Amino acid sequence: MPRLSIEAVGLTDVGRVRQYNEDSIVCDTARGLMAVADGMGGHRAGEVASRMATDSLLTAFREQIAAMGSDDDPISLQPTVEQSIIRANDEIMTAARSNQACFGMGTTLAVALFHGRQVTLAHVGDSRIYRLRYNRLQLLTRDDSLLRDQVELGLISAAAAAGSHNRNLVTRALGVETAVQPHVREDKVLAGDVYLLCSDGLNDLVDDSDIELIVNSLKANLPLAAHHLIQAAKDNGGHDNVSAILVSVRDEAPADSGSGWLRRLLAWLRPGTGG
Amino acid sequence: MAKLVLSTAGTVVFQCFLDDDRVNIGRRALNHVVIDDASVSLAHSAIVPVGNDHILEDLGSASGTWVNGTRIERHILQHGDVIEFGPHYLRYLNPRASTTIDFDRTMVFAGLHAQAFPTSDEPPPPASVHVPTARPARSRTPRGRVTITAGPRARSTLELDRVVTLFGTPGDRLAVVTRRPHGFFITHVEGERYPRVNGRRIDGEPRQLRGGDEFEVGGERVEFREDY
Repeated sequence: MPRLSIEAVGLTDVGRVRQYNEDSIVCDTARGLMAVADGMGGHRAGEVASRMATDSLLTAFREQIAAMGSDDDPISLQPTVEQSIIRANDEIMTAARSNQACFGMGTTLAVALFHGRQVTLAHVGDSRIYRLRYNRLQLLTRDDSLLRDQVELGLISAAAAAGSHNRNLVTRALGVETAVQPHVREDKVLAGDVYLLCSDGLNDLVDDSDIELIVNSLKANLPLAAHHLIQAAKDNGGHDNVSAILVSVRDEAPADSGSGWLRRLLAWLRPGTGG
Repeated sequence: MAKLVLSTAGTVVFQCFLDDDRVNIGRRALNHVVIDDASVSLAHSAIVPVGNDHILEDLGSASGTWVNGTRIERHILQHGDVIEFGPHYLRYLNPRASTTIDFDRTMVFAGLHAQAFPTSDEPPPPASVHVPTARPARSRTPRGRVTITAGPRARSTLELDRVVTLFGTPGDRLAVVTRRPHGFFITHVEGERYPRVNGRRIDGEPRQLRGGDEFEVGGERVEFREDY
């Protein structure tokens, strides 16, 4: 079975209304680590919180992946991802307590860690992870949001939710409680899959059907697809910061083909890199 | 802060602010808002605060609860809504609750059933539960259509009624026409040969299309028409 490789593009944009971008992203193709964090809190503290979350993950996985060696083991990284999110939460809590300017800051987080033929997915809050497979876009995460709770419990209809003012109320976030409970799951990846991580600045403004159409139509040109997603959110009002990371999973070129030797050499020189 | 204003025949007879408590409306004197009219039930409606919303509910009243001329069972109140009780009008005022997008920042709020789901191995959410986007109805969407004059789809006409429309051959030579508020743009997607507009090759940047423009990509020749 050929190895899988990923190509990834991440974009974040301040939008058309806000003064600062409080979103923060990680798009580390070599480590297979992708993350979107959407910060909250006054006086730019949201920027601090989201940046702390992504930095903390990056630091954690710089150590972890280096320690793992091969990315081909069919092992679950759920505990590792969960631990690193809990650690990020602790760091943000500590900073918020020790610095008056950071009081009340918090952040959402969506993480995808690609390893071998699997991806570990995790999220807290209303940042989302979607997967395009066989030309269909599917939402893989369940928002921690009051509005979603209301719809699921049947308190309001899905149609009525469009008129709600609770869109911005998340029920879980990092930096808010000492015990954070991330949602973590493992997913098997297939060649041809495209994963999308985004902040609510995208999915609040662009219908899932339009997101599907854009990703599916333009997946051959990932930077163009990511650019189109951000542009669509801004064309529809862009009232929030907007971030999108697209990850395309492919079969690695067969090892005996003309260009294969270079890839093998690079893989040999840098063990643990996923392409 | 949200406010309720009760008026009869154009005269304000009662007003109150809404805070975090439930407000009962009816003919009985125990209600927070008392409307003394034969058509109003003893306990007629209630307004329940949930997060930033005030949700109006009918309590099984005889004549029903009507908002802006429509009978409702449950309704998320919007700034300026008028709730009708016979000849009495109860107006809901909350400038923060207008139908356009509010600019409130993301905040944390206690969940309604935070413990109801396990934290791992969750199944994907059911497709039936879909929270629609907040985007207001597309009011400024330009209209455009194309006629394909050469290629496998020759002699067909396409409405450019989606945000992106592909032309050419996937995997070989492909271009996208993007619909934006201020017009239509063609961009190269993949392939070594770039599309041509009016006979001239475009570069990697989006190129705005004007009515009457003709473009060629991957064996397709296409005429663009713009009608607003």
